Amino acid sequence: MTGEAHTDSSLRQLSYAEAIREAMDIALAADERVILMGEDIGVYGGAFQVTGDLVHKYGEDRVMDTPISELGGAGVAVGAAMTGLRPVFEFQFSDFAALAMEQIVNQAAKVRFMLGGAASVPVVMRFPAGSGTGAAAQHSQSLEAWFGHVPGLKVVQPSTPEDAKGLLLAAIEDPDPVMIFEHKILYKMKGTVPDGHYTTPIGTAAVRRSGADLTIVATSLMVHKALEAAATLADEAVDAEVIDLRTVRPMDRDTVLASVRKTGRLLCVYEGVKTLGVGAEVSAMVAESDAFDFLDAPIVRLGGAESPIPYNPELEKAVVPQVPDILNAARQLAGGTV
Amino acid sequence: MPTEVILPKVDMDMATGSIASWHVAEGEEVAKGQPLFDIETDKAAMEVESPASGRLHHVSVEVGSEVPIGTTLAWIYADGEDVGPPPEHATSAVTDDHVVSSDAGAPRAVLVDQSAKASELQGNSSSAKQRATPAARKLATQSHVDLADVTGSGPRARVQRADVERLLDVPAPDAIAVPALPWSTQQGDLSVLSSGSGEAAPWVLIHGFAADASGWSAVEKQLRMSAAVHRIELPNHGRSPRRKVADFRDLVSQMRQAFDGLGDQPVRLVGHSLGAAVSLALADTRPRRIESLTLISPAGLGPEINGVVLAGIARASRPESLGPWLKQLTGDPDVVTPNYVQAAARQRPDGQGRAAQASMMDALFPDGVQAFDLHAALSRLECPTRIIWGRRDAIVPWKHALRAPGQVALHLFDDVGHLPHVEIPEQVCALMML
Repeated sequence: MTGEAHTDSSLRQLSYAEAIREAMDIALAADERVILMGEDIGVYGGAFQVTGDLVHKYGEDRVMDTPISELGGAGVAVGAAMTGLRPVFEFQFSDFAALAMEQIVNQAAKVRFMLGGAASVPVVMRFPAGSGTGAAAQHSQSLEAWFGHVPGLKVVQPSTPEDAKGLLLAAIEDPDPVMIFEHKILYKMKGTVPDGHYTTPIGTAAVRRSGADLTIVATSLMVHKALEAAATLADEAVDAEVIDLRTVRPMDRDTVLASVRKTGRLLCVYEGVKTLGVGAEVSAMVAESDAFDFLDAPIVRLGGAESPIPYNPELEKAVVPQVPDILNAARQLAGGTV
Repeated sequence: MPTEVILPKVDMDMATGSIASWHVAEGEEVAKGQPLFDIETDKAAMEVESPASGRLHHVSVEVGSEVPIGTTLAWIYADGEDVGPPPEHATSAVTDDHVVSSDAGAPRAVLVDQSAKASELQGNSSSAKQRATPAARKLATQSHVDLADVTGSGPRARVQRADVERLLDVPAPDAIAVPALPWSTQQGDLSVLSSGSGEAAPWVLIHGFAADASGWSAVEKQLRMSAAVHRIELPNHGRSPRRKVADFRDLVSQMRQAFDGLGDQPVRLVGHSLGAAVSLALADTRPRRIESLTLISPAGLGPEINGVVLAGIARASRPESLGPWLKQLTGDPDVVTPNYVQAAARQRPDGQGRAAQASMMDALFPDGVQAFDLHAALSRLECPTRIIWGRRDAIVPWKHALRAPGQVALHLFDDVGHLPHVEIPEQVCALMML
């Protein structure tokens, strides 16, 4: 993949998973402190085949299979980061982060603070997240808000192959722990990915579609659903602006507020459970800011239902926002009937 | 026929209520206006007076039980009326937003107490109680519109920004530019109105856009006691001829001709808004002729200007269309009385004059932006200079004053708008004479 010649790099298409692999490849080649850790990421290539054949290129010392103990693996990664390495630790499913919370929340996030800056934890945790794969309640959650609640962590949710690569490279170079939530449905999505090394700055949102009538702030897979809805809305003369939040913590306040000041209407779309979720923070941020005065309708949130993700495929769809839900909410907001 | 006692609506949001206590027991006598029972809603408790004199019978609602408004609670029988079985319920359920009132012919229903009146009044007149989006409130505040005058088109009659805009007839941003109407230029010099006399250096006053020399009248009355006062009128304004104004530089050059025509002696130059920008430019090029400079709500010190209001005034021909815009000029909109609006509308130029003003506005403030910046000129001034501004100026942001260099005196007034020389003429005169 990386060895192929590309006559026109601006048109080069990679999948989201390939883009992540390319980022890891670039980091491994450029910096010997970088190591990959995780369950089955070596010869097997990762639960979602993201690490692929990197073990053959960099060896088992740098692409390391860890035992089936998320707490143990994460602990080793955090400790390795404190010694100066730059570990990228892959969870098989983001749901399993629950097992490693002690290392992430009480150690990685706290060490720099508690040691007065004398040490830092430049660890990257990669979390395959989200529903839509029929993997049911324990393998389908969107838990980014848990981590967004912890000072000391950075939390990103790339929605495109380009950002998946750029944010991962930025995360590896970041001196502090960065949690990356990769949507499992996006792994096979193709998109244009620039050649070579580049970073997508953590803490910056991207305006994916400019519009004047309402602002849709979305994350991860929901960005694509929002864009699909926006295309339909355009036919109805509703001009939606779609913001890809990209980073949950620290949140890009300026981009969101500027958009709300322009449109006066805010719709938040996120897959995590609606209550106390990412969209709750976006809503509160707007409500507390000067952009409040520009709101011409109540803020609307679409988020995951108050339910574990069901196994039944129809129910699985029903508990997270879908394009018709976004259309419905956007029409009401733009029509002044909310 | 006995009088029905029903649960009244005593609060705009009230749907149900309960009786906290009866002041009068079943069978007892009560006089009209005497406290009959206490009512509790989810917000408050209040006393309700008896709607009639007589004896209380058929009390059908127990203390503490919650019932919908309009429910029959009891009946009052006048002296001599036979107490039989309770009459049929005489009133229909209260569904609208009005307090139940009596209906001719039917048994007298109820019961309007003071608090009910108060809450109804409040509902009609208070912006605070009107449902409105933040954007609508902001626009209403900026435009001095009472939200109670706006019909809300949103859910539960919520006022949305578009509802306020409809009332203001705010043109869309791309419609701010006034359509080019045909007008012809006129010959002749710019108008200068001179009055007063005295030993002190003469005053030269230059008014703002869409005003004329008469805007100075309150100030001029005081100034003319001790010195000559010359009021120059901008092209296309007042008695001055209609002329093409290509840009700000062209305007200054036309005004300089009139200024030079006043003679060689040093003057005390005063300008308001656009006139202040012109004054500043004159002072920059004629420094030896300026003894002192007073800039009132000056244009030219920053990019922002309220183009919507300027365009509104420039287009307005009748009191109805002029009034709402004029109210934005002052800190206290009540200063702009209907009489003032009538007078102002009479002084507005005719169709050709308005078209000439509109084209001048477009040249000076394209897309509602001040196309000239006099900040550098302000720094070059050598004469004593003061800026007088109201912090409630809705036309040119007073914060532009903060760009002034240290030698310029700033006089900022809290409750004053864009017209300090009209709103607080005594204070402005006193400062000008410092």
